[in-house]
Amino acid sequence: MSESVYRIRAVARHNTILLLREPGPLLGRLILPLLFLTLLHPLYQTALVPGSGIGQAVIATLVTFSLLGLSIVSGSILVERMWHTWERVRATAARPAELLAGKAVPVMAAVLLQQVLIIGFGAAAFGLAVPGPPLLALAVLAWTLALLGMGAAIGVLARSLGEMSVIYDVGGMILSSLGGALVPLSAMPAWVRHVAPASPGYWAVSALKDALAGHAPGTLRACAVLAGFAVAFGLLAAVRVGRSAARSTRM
Amino acid sequence: MLIAQGLVKRYGGRRALDGFDLEALPGEIVGLIGHNGAGKSTFVEVVTGLVRPDAGTVRVGGVDVLRDRRAARALTGVAPQELSLYASATVRDNLRLFAALAGLRRRAQRLAIDRVAEELQLTGLLGQRAGVISGGQQRRAQAAAALVGGAPLLLLDEPTAGADPETRASLLGAIRRRASDGAAVLYTTHYLPELADLGATIAVARSGRIIARGDRDSLITGLPGELRLRLDAAGAVYLPPSIAGRAQTVDGELRITSTDPPGDLAALLTAGCSPLSVDVRRPDLDDLYSVLALEASRV
Repeated sequence: MSESVYRIRAVARHNTILLLREPGPLLGRLILPLLFLTLLHPLYQTALVPGSGIGQAVIATLVTFSLLGLSIVSGSILVERMWHTWERVRATAARPAELLAGKAVPVMAAVLLQQVLIIGFGAAAFGLAVPGPPLLALAVLAWTLALLGMGAAIGVLARSLGEMSVIYDVGGMILSSLGGALVPLSAMPAWVRHVAPASPGYWAVSALKDALAGHAPGTLRACAVLAGFAVAFGLLAAVRVGRSAARSTRM
Repeated sequence: MLIAQGLVKRYGGRRALDGFDLEALPGEIVGLIGHNGAGKSTFVEVVTGLVRPDAGTVRVGGVDVLRDRRAARALTGVAPQELSLYASATVRDNLRLFAALAGLRRRAQRLAIDRVAEELQLTGLLGQRAGVISGGQQRRAQAAAALVGGAPLLLLDEPTAGADPETRASLLGAIRRRASDGAAVLYTTHYLPELADLGATIAVARSGRIIARGDRDSLITGLPGELRLRLDAAGAVYLPPSIAGRAQTVDGELRITSTDPPGDLAALLTAGCSPLSVDVRRPDLDDLYSVLALEASRV
């Protein structure tokens, strides 16, 4: 095993331990969506076109709770700042890219697990049809990357756990609502439909809806936009880290 | 092992380092002392590659820190001034991470963790979360994270700040052992007696540069000590003008700041002073520090 892979593995292992030592938030983000889906699924079935209800219910649950699950990503960054451990690990032989990759592995796994659980539960318990699993996997992956980018940005921008909580609670609900996750956009006011494409949640809903409908071009287009959001938020986080480093004149 | 030359680091208009030169040889413990703001912590940050100097060079084990930070960091174990432990992870998890990042594989990791835990009396705490152990135990865990990789250069920035005597003793013992194994140690502190315990070479920083470097005895030579005389309470004392300005009475004792106690005593006896007892206090590192602080306050 190369030195680089070994260091990434060590950091990933350590961050997995950190995630599992405080399992409450993770378990909450995994179990709550399943309850939400179970309770709201009949409502969506009744309110929407017959046959489309379970798809909307799964997408609503997935997008809303994965946005709330941003806390897992941003929390893993914020605690490093609060514990002063980020500077400490930077003073080791590990490259910044190795540290970031090691940090990303467990949180990405947690976010993916959450989405796979919701989709699997929807399919197993309520008969959600998945005509093209690879297409759906692509949509989930693109959304996960966008979530990682957003989470990293929140993690470096927030100054405390309280501030972070406000950002992902309020921001998460706004983004998922604007995206048409909770209520289909067709049922929303016109102004919401106009601003919806500015929300990453809108593109997540689009990607997932098209993937569940087996519509490849629509899925790919939405995934491309989500990848753009991932890059943009990732850059924002990187620039923010760079600026704060420049202020402290750290390398 | 460590050679820093002409380091300059500006923060706005302030020079944190202003021509900072320092060397540490393998097996040598260099005690870096100086008042707050003298440049000690900035120097440590430059050596670890976290801060880029505006001018100057630093080499660790022959590696230019500015050109190849990673190679230099691989030779360095750091205990920053601020506690930096993963609070929700156990002490063992913390040490395992830093051992792995230092390149130690499984068996070597285990051996290194067991060794450093035993040295720093952490064995019984390895399974405890770093966030729930006491402050002194956290200090030891922090130092253990610096030592566990077996780096040939150790940078310990006030590792005993706020530590209890037990913590201090175990830390100093571990540092002495690492130095005797060949590691170069840079040790910053405000607790000067520690440096005598460590047998450290002393470097004195002021205003971003090293103003004195040497062993303890050579540095305190020339510093004033104190001549202490207990006098008959009834007797009036005539103090020669050359002494009067340096004398004060404390708890009934006449204390004279003196670079030449025998000469001053002779002058007092000649002037008719007949003390009940005489005590000469030699200068120590605290006096050196006091002189530096006084000079700094005049700048």
